[in-house]
Amino acid sequence: MKRWSIIGALLMALFVLGACSGDSKGSKEQAEGKTVIEYWHVNAETQGGQTVDALVKEFNETSDTVEVIAKYNPDMYKGLMQNLQAEAASGKAPAVIQVGWSFLDYFSNNFEFVSPQTIIDQHFEEDATFLSDHFLPNVMDLAKNAEGVQVGIPYSLSSPVLYINRDLLREAGVSEEGPKTWQEVREFSNTIQQKTGKHGFYMQEPADNWATQALLESNGARMLTDGKATFASAEGIEAYSLLRDMVVKDQTALHVPWDQGVQSFIDGNVAMVYTTIARRMQIQDNARFDVATVPSPTWEGKEVRLPAGGAMLAITAKEEEQQRAAWEFMKFLYSVESVAAWTEGTGYVPPREGVAEAENGLKTFLEENEMMKAAIDQMDGVVPWTSFPGDAGLQAEQLLLDVRDQILGGSVDVETGLKETEERINELLK
Amino acid sequence: MHVSKWEGRRSYEQWKAYGLLFPSLIIFALFMIWPFFYTIYLSFFDWNMVAPTKTFVGFQNYVDVLTDPITYKVLRNTLFYIVLLLAMNLVVPYIFAFVLDLVLHRWKGFYKGAIFLPSVISLVVGSILFMWLLNPVSGPVAIVLGAFGITMPVWSKLDGWVIVGLSLITSWKVFGYNFIVLYAAVNGISREVIEAAKLDGVPLWRIFVQIVLPLSGATGIYVLIITIVQGLQYVFTPIKVLTQGGPYYGSANLIYQAYHEAFVLYRTGHSAALSILTMFIFFILLWLEFKFVERGIHYAN
Repeated sequence: MKRWSIIGALLMALFVLGACSGDSKGSKEQAEGKTVIEYWHVNAETQGGQTVDALVKEFNETSDTVEVIAKYNPDMYKGLMQNLQAEAASGKAPAVIQVGWSFLDYFSNNFEFVSPQTIIDQHFEEDATFLSDHFLPNVMDLAKNAEGVQVGIPYSLSSPVLYINRDLLREAGVSEEGPKTWQEVREFSNTIQQKTGKHGFYMQEPADNWATQALLESNGARMLTDGKATFASAEGIEAYSLLRDMVVKDQTALHVPWDQGVQSFIDGNVAMVYTTIARRMQIQDNARFDVATVPSPTWEGKEVRLPAGGAMLAITAKEEEQQRAAWEFMKFLYSVESVAAWTEGTGYVPPREGVAEAENGLKTFLEENEMMKAAIDQMDGVVPWTSFPGDAGLQAEQLLLDVRDQILGGSVDVETGLKETEERINELLK
Repeated sequence: MHVSKWEGRRSYEQWKAYGLLFPSLIIFALFMIWPFFYTIYLSFFDWNMVAPTKTFVGFQNYVDVLTDPITYKVLRNTLFYIVLLLAMNLVVPYIFAFVLDLVLHRWKGFYKGAIFLPSVISLVVGSILFMWLLNPVSGPVAIVLGAFGITMPVWSKLDGWVIVGLSLITSWKVFGYNFIVLYAAVNGISREVIEAAKLDGVPLWRIFVQIVLPLSGATGIYVLIITIVQGLQYVFTPIKVLTQGGPYYGSANLIYQAYHEAFVLYRTGHSAALSILTMFIFFILLWLEFKFVERGIHYAN
């Protein structure tokens, strides 16, 4: 017992020492005469952190005026917000930060920031059209808050795609190009189960309603209209019923937690999975069959509406000099080469145009990683990820998760479940 | 004269004792007592953890918690967890300890090591491991069951089953430690008593129930309490990793629910009220334990 506690104490000490030395390394790099700014990110070593470090290093070597210190924030975007809170309380602020989509309104209501275009107009005439030249308008809209203010610039982008197991599709005798519509997804799923005995379909079930929004809104429903929940419309109910029927009635679709669902796809027990493109690397590296991605299925004759996952970059620098430095750094991050490196390192979709085809961009990468293509091709269908407004927003989100469990578990029918949930959410949002 | 010298010495000894206790008392006060009072304070307010103002709401949080059907669902889950954890982490390791100490004669060291090993591995790692092992469609367990024509239930999405699954995962971590502690207790029982019983031809089950259990009861009661108190906290990890309390709160216990309210939904007051109520329940359990169980326990020293 005693020996263990000594070992424990030693480990703790090592930990603390490790943390200290990490800090001091950052400050040592400060060079004379350069403007030093901080860049806050959430990318752990295995989730693109190495790419962040490589990009920052490259920038610092090429820039004569700006020195960037990258600071990793644990616990994703929520953790970053909490740290920012503490920093703001002491009157300081980093220069550039990553803001997750679900924190867009929270961030813009509670913190000081400068819209990138403002800084460009003030100090960088040559970049006046940089944003409008290189970004799709619907993509830029992702980073606008409820009042329509451009809070930042989209950086890490993901969207849901359909992964297919071509071997199973061939075995079942259905088109190996995969289904184009949700109705086809259901038919495919039925055929696959009859012919192969395997499960046909799985839709991701994490603790958020991202994929649900894609399914419902692509059918013409809207999660939120003028600050009120409206997902229990006829279209919403129709869309949800399809998923429920596949799980409960046909029993061709799986209803398991996210990781297990993806796992079952990887080991060949499920033929199609609807989940984020950010899982591509995991699936591509581990699948031992002919795997491909196809764009999100549509509803017959309707346009897809796919919520974006990921984050934007916002400028929180307060002094003019820092703000200028922040844009210089951001411009570097949004260059073709940097965005290409970011995509390769993280699996996110490039937020700007002109990267996929470019020789110095992702051309060769995409030739080897065809699975990215589906996500890049559907970029014009990307819309903001709905966040319910106000203090009760998170509770509203939770109610939708609750009803998902009930509907897919078969304990309540779609219409009653969605209508009741909508009512309760609107009660909360009042 | 003689007496006061002794008194002086005693008070010196006392102060020395307090002095030695002091560091841990500070830590205890800082991390246990103070948060406890702060939780009581918070339970009377409506606060989202970031807003600068807290709104006083009186007993509203308690009313909300007590009128919410989910609270009772979570309470039932908690009791079910306790029953399962007691079976898996008290009864079974007790029998294992007995069998290993008094029935088996070979490979003892190997068994001890093998059973204890998982308890040094992180429960997060264990949860991920079991997520794969117990995958109802393509995990090894499902494949083995499938060979016998049994379809594995989708346990993580079914009420009841999900608690069994998560308790199993938790047992993987807790079992080894409980086993070692109980083994030490069983091993410490005087051999003469047991040998005498064996000579008299007393069956093994009676040796266990009538000799081993009473003589190792003090340790047994310790394991009983930590199984309940610590087990419910250990369950937190697989819940967080695997189900996040789902399906529809089917796997949430009181501790996870308090966390969920506070750190996922930011309903601090609601969470605090639930925590205080949870503590009351534990108080009652402990009181019952002292009143009925502790009395019959024989402490060797």
